[in-house]
Amino acid sequence: MAKVTNTCKKCVLDSATPGISISENTGLCQFCEHFTPPSAEKKEKYRSRMDSLLKSPPKKGKYDVIFALSGGIDSSYTLYRLKKEYPHLNILAVQFDNGFISDTALENAQKFCALTKSTYMRLCLDQNALQDTFLKAANSIDSYPGAAKYRASDICNTCISIIKEKIIELAITTKAPFIIFAFSPGQTDAPFVTLTKPLLVWMRKLFAQSLKSMGVADQEPYLIDARLIQSGSPEPEVTIIHPFLIWDYDKPKFKRECIALGWIDPDLKDHNSSNCLLNAFAIKNHLDKYHIHSYAYDLASLVRQGNMKRDDALKKLIVNVSDDSIEEIKRKLKL
Amino acid sequence: MQEPRKDILDFLKKQGFLNEKTRLKDNDSLSETGVIDSITLLELIDFLEEKYNIQIPLEMITPENFDTLAGISQTVLKLKNG
Repeated sequence: MAKVTNTCKKCVLDSATPGISISENTGLCQFCEHFTPPSAEKKEKYRSRMDSLLKSPPKKGKYDVIFALSGGIDSSYTLYRLKKEYPHLNILAVQFDNGFISDTALENAQKFCALTKSTYMRLCLDQNALQDTFLKAANSIDSYPGAAKYRASDICNTCISIIKEKIIELAITTKAPFIIFAFSPGQTDAPFVTLTKPLLVWMRKLFAQSLKSMGVADQEPYLIDARLIQSGSPEPEVTIIHPFLIWDYDKPKFKRECIALGWIDPDLKDHNSSNCLLNAFAIKNHLDKYHIHSYAYDLASLVRQGNMKRDDALKKLIVNVSDDSIEEIKRKLKL
Repeated sequence: MQEPRKDILDFLKKQGFLNEKTRLKDNDSLSETGVIDSITLLELIDFLEEKYNIQIPLEMITPENFDTLAGISQTVLKLKNG
């Protein structure tokens, strides 16, 4: 007899996902049962800290901010709003070319850089090696810690980790005091992360460990240059800011605003990405390996925090397994 | 004061999806055993600061202080007791 699964009454997590339990008494998952929304005072404190950091950034190099730009809705909107609220900022917007970004995402990224007078940079690594790394991530099991598996697929964790390492490296080498990522409030809990050498050494070691576990032999191209964080090198003096933990998060509104500004909807069949062609395959691969939808935890957090309607989140969790794009990615990865 | 070790384990079970069956020893490396990554670590620091009403200085966020249950417990107690 098939096991009966329950979905949390408040968010979208269900008991079929390993590690998720739904209370028989309340009908809520363990996260909704203990959830306390951030207070207005706390949000105001964060807002005030972001203002004080970005209104007068320390001038040390050409750029004030290294911005991670995918060309999707969240990052395009964040870049626009950031420049609107802090027009004096010199921003270097970095789009990581993982070999699977859509042509529309490339166009959107360049369009929003022109609109905000930001410098555009397309970060490219060896595409064959990168493709092989994604293939290894797809074939790997348990290369990332337990909690990471709930935040993103193994493929996305690999891609995001590479972006983080290379962007931090860029911030240190260009002496930019701030890095901005447009992570949703479901993807991170910390609005500010001040980087120190011990933390960076540790982050580098953890990612190197995951790459090694996947069987990636040449890890150096994906990691921060070790000389920048070795003993005797200067302290990084870089702070990461996640504005969506400070601003309200309303994706349909962002999409409307972006489209009005010239952002083009790529019309990907994937409900969860407006920039990456690899994403739908990555979700399916993760689901097959762990029975975890890699967006469930993120979407559940957004619903729990009141940033998304439950029905909209549930729709985003439907995986179209017959999607031709998944087959195309499999061919490209030689799976 | 409540023993930090229990709070840390409860946090890792809830937020870190630590398997109920995993038996962690006090000096096991949390990163090498796949229990924490950098995001879980930052969330844990935030949790400890709120729970114990302490400020964890950035320079203290090192593997020596935060990669084992024993190291984290000692760090929390040291900061709490001045």
